[in-house]
Amino acid sequence: MPVIEVKELTKVFKVPKKEPGLGGAVKGLFHPQYQNKVAVDGIHFKLEAGEIVGYIGVNGAGKSTTIKMLTGVLMPTGGSIQVLGRDPHRQRVDNARDIGVVFGQRTQLWWDLALIESLNLIARIYNVHPVKYRLMLNQFTETLELDELLNVPVRNMSLGQKMRSELAAALIHEPKVVYLDEPTIGLDLIVKERIRDFIKAECVSKGMTVMLTTHDLGDIEELCRRVIIIDDGRIIYDGPIDTIKKRFGKYREITFDTVENVNGLNLPDGAEMLPSADHKVQIRFDRTRSTASRVASSVMNQIEVSDFSLSEPNLGDIVKQIYNGALERETQ
Amino acid sequence: MMTRYLNLYWLFLIQRLKVLMEYRASFILGASSTIVWQASSIAAVWVVMQKVPSLNGWNYDEVLLVYGLVTLSKSINHMFADNLWTLGRVYIRSGGFDRFLVRPIDPLFHLLADRFCQDGVGNFLVGAALVVKSTYALDIVWTMPKLAMLVVGVLSGGFIFIALNLITCVAAFWIVDSVPVTRLVFDNHLFAQYPLTIYPRAINILLTWVIPYGFASFYPASYLLNREIGNIAWFGPFVAAILLFIGYRLWQLGLKYYSGTGT
Amino acid sequence: MIQTARRNLSAYTAIFAMIPKLFMAYQIWFWIGLVLNIISMAILVFFWRAIYAETASISGLALDQTLRYILLAFIFMPLTSSDLVWEFGSNLREGMMIHHLLRPINFQGMNYAQSLGTLVTRLALQIPMVFVAVLLFGLRFPTDPATWGAFLVSALLGYTVMFFFYWFLACLTFYTTEIWGLGVLIEGMNFFLSGSLVPLVMMPEVVRNVVLAIPFAQALGVPVSLLTGITPLSQAPQVWLTQVLWIIGMWILSSLFFKVAVRKITVQGG
Repeated sequence: MPVIEVKELTKVFKVPKKEPGLGGAVKGLFHPQYQNKVAVDGIHFKLEAGEIVGYIGVNGAGKSTTIKMLTGVLMPTGGSIQVLGRDPHRQRVDNARDIGVVFGQRTQLWWDLALIESLNLIARIYNVHPVKYRLMLNQFTETLELDELLNVPVRNMSLGQKMRSELAAALIHEPKVVYLDEPTIGLDLIVKERIRDFIKAECVSKGMTVMLTTHDLGDIEELCRRVIIIDDGRIIYDGPIDTIKKRFGKYREITFDTVENVNGLNLPDGAEMLPSADHKVQIRFDRTRSTASRVASSVMNQIEVSDFSLSEPNLGDIVKQIYNGALERETQ
Repeated sequence: MMTRYLNLYWLFLIQRLKVLMEYRASFILGASSTIVWQASSIAAVWVVMQKVPSLNGWNYDEVLLVYGLVTLSKSINHMFADNLWTLGRVYIRSGGFDRFLVRPIDPLFHLLADRFCQDGVGNFLVGAALVVKSTYALDIVWTMPKLAMLVVGVLSGGFIFIALNLITCVAAFWIVDSVPVTRLVFDNHLFAQYPLTIYPRAINILLTWVIPYGFASFYPASYLLNREIGNIAWFGPFVAAILLFIGYRLWQLGLKYYSGTGT
Repeated sequence: MIQTARRNLSAYTAIFAMIPKLFMAYQIWFWIGLVLNIISMAILVFFWRAIYAETASISGLALDQTLRYILLAFIFMPLTSSDLVWEFGSNLREGMMIHHLLRPINFQGMNYAQSLGTLVTRLALQIPMVFVAVLLFGLRFPTDPATWGAFLVSALLGYTVMFFFYWFLACLTFYTTEIWGLGVLIEGMNFFLSGSLVPLVMMPEVVRNVVLAIPFAQALGVPVSLLTGITPLSQAPQVWLTQVLWIIGMWILSSLFFKVAVRKITVQGG
C-alpha cells in the first residue's frame, strides 16, 4: 500500500479582486469581488514506503500549496489525499503524530530558548518516550554535531546551525513521513553537503518516506531517485531523476557579449545557437560531444567577443524545455 | 488528556520563565510598568476620596475592592492569554501559525501556552494587594459563600476577559490585524473599575449583558458587601461559559476558514 | 548666514510636513482611538459627577469647573506626550544615531521641530474629541482672548519644559535596551503627575508640592489651570516665569546628560 496517495488533488483560492483607487477600495469593502486562482490543478501521485522524492517547480508553481495540503494545514478544494491511510486534514492530529515537517524559511523552534529546551518541549508535545528521546538525542548530537549548539538559543545561530537544529526538531519523534520544504535554502556548499548526508543517512536507514521540495537541483540529484515536477499547478513530469539528468545534465550554455550583431556562425558538432538578445550570442552544447574550449575558440575566431560566461541549466529552463516537448523528443 | 495538557502547560511555562530570567530587567520593568499605570489611577481616586469620602454611596475601600477585583480578573487574562492579541500580527501574517497545525496538540492551546506574559504579574500584584487591603479595611466576614464568591468572581471574570478577547481576536483569521477590534471591546473593562451605579442605565446594560465585565468586579464586590444586587454575581460562571463556548466555536470557524485559504 | 537659516528652516518644515502623512497610514486606528477616547472620557465624567453628588464644591471648585478642567486636560493631553524615548531607542538600535549626529543640522533643533509637528498633528487629531466633549459632556470653552493667550504661552513653554525633560530621559536609552518598558513606565507616571486626572488644587499639599517639584505638570496641569481660570489670569506672568526657569534648568541638565551619554556611542561605536 502506498504511504502517500494523492488523487485528483485540486486547490482553488478565492482572491479578492482589488479595484484601483479609494473608490475601488470602498466598493471592495461592501461588495467584494473574487476571482478564482487555481494553485493545484488535479494532480495524482503515489509514494511508496521508503521513497525519497523530489518535488520541484519554480516559485508559485503550487509546491508549497501541495505540501500544506499533505501536512493537513490546508483543506483541498477537490480530490483526495491519503497519508498512511488517513485524511491529513480531517485527522489532522493523528496525522501530525506520524509526520515531520521542516519549513526551510520559518523556524519551528522557540526563538529565545536554548536548542535543548526546544527539543525537550517538542519531545513532550509528540509524547516521545523519555528513553527513546535520550537515544535519539544522543544520536542526533553526533550525526548533526549538535553538542556545541544544545545550549545556544536559536536567535544566536547561523543559518546552517539553525537548519541542523530544525532537522533534529522535525525528526526527534521518528516520523514515518517527512516533508522537507527547501531544507538547504541559503546555505553554503559545505553545509548543504552535510545536511544532504544527514538526510540520506537518517531517512534511508529508518525507511522514512520523504518528500523534498527544493529549487536546488543538487539536492535532488544527491537524494532522490524520483522527481515530480510541477508547473502552474499541474504535474509535468513524474519519473526517474536519471532521465532528467541525462537529458539536461549533459548540456551547458555559453553566453557571449559581442561587439556587433551576429547572424550565422559555424559551430562544432553538438553545439547549437539559441535565440538571444542584441549583442549576445547564446550557445548550448552537448558535453559528451564537444567541450567549452572548442565552442569558445570557434566562436572567438569568427567574431569579436567582449565577454563570455558559462552556465549550468537551471530549473526554470528545464521546465521551459519540458513544455517545448524536450522529453518526448528524447524518448522518441 | 487534561493532565497531559496541564503537564505540557507547566513545561511551556517553565521554559518561558527561564527566558524571562534571561531578560530580567525587561521582566521587572514590564511588571512594574503595569503597576505604575494602576498606581496613577488609584492615586487619583485616593486624592479625590480624601475630599469626598463617597462615590455614589461607595466609600474609598469599597471602590478599591471593585477596582482590585477587575484588576485581578484582568491579570488572569493578561498572564495566561495575552498571546491572543498577537495571533494576527505575529503568527498569521508570518505564516508561523502553520507550525501549530502540523503538531499533534490543539492549536489554541499551543497559541496560549506559547507565551506567558510577565506584564500580567504586575496587574496580579496590584489586584491582590487592593483586594486584601480593602477587604481587611472593610472588616468583611469571610463566610463560606463569600469565600466562594471571591474565587468564582475572579475566575469567571478572568474567563470573561479571555473569552471576549478570543471572540474578537479570531477576526485575525479573516482580516489578519485584529488588534483594533479586540482593543475596542477590551477597553470597556475600564468602566468596570468603578461601581457601575455611577453610570447611566445604558452603560450598566452594556457592561452586564453585552460586554459583561461587570461580572468581574461590580457584582461580586456587591455580593461581598452584602448589597442585594450582588446575587447576580452567581451567574458569572454561566456568562463566562457561554462566552467561552461562542469564542471557541468562532475559533473553529476561523480555523476552517484559514485551512481554506492559508495566507 | 541667512541662507543657512533658510536651509535649516526648510529642512524643519519638510520634517514638520511629513508627520501627518505618517499618521494617515493608520486610519482605522483613528476611528478606534476615537471610540477608546470616548470611553475614557465618559468614565472620567461619570466618576466626577458621582463624586459631586455628595457636595457642591471641592477645594473651591464646583462640578462644572472641575469637569471643564478634566475635559480640557483630556483634549490637551498631547501636550505631555513625546516620542523621544522611542525615537532615541530605535535610532540607537538601528545604529542610526551616528548618522543623525553627522547631519549638518542641529540634532536637538531637528528633534524639537519634529516634536512640534507631532504635537500639532496630535492636537488636530483631538478635534473630534472636542466635539464629543462639547456635545456629549457639555464642555464650554472660555471666551476671553486674554485667557487663551495666557494658556497658549504657558502651554508652549510647558511643552518645551517637557521636551527637554524627555530629552533627559531619552538619554537613558544609551544605557539600557529596555526602551519599551522605560517608555511605558514614564507614560504611566505621567498619567497622574501631569494633572490629567485630578486638578492640581485638589491634591493634598504634600502631593501637590511633589508634583510641582517635577516637570510633568508644567505642560498640562499648569496651563489648563490657567485656561479654566483655576489659576487667576493675574498670576500668568508668574507662571510663565516659573516655566522659563524650568526650561533653562532642564535644558542645561539634558544637554549635559546628552554630552555624557553620546560618548558611549562615539567611544564604543553605535
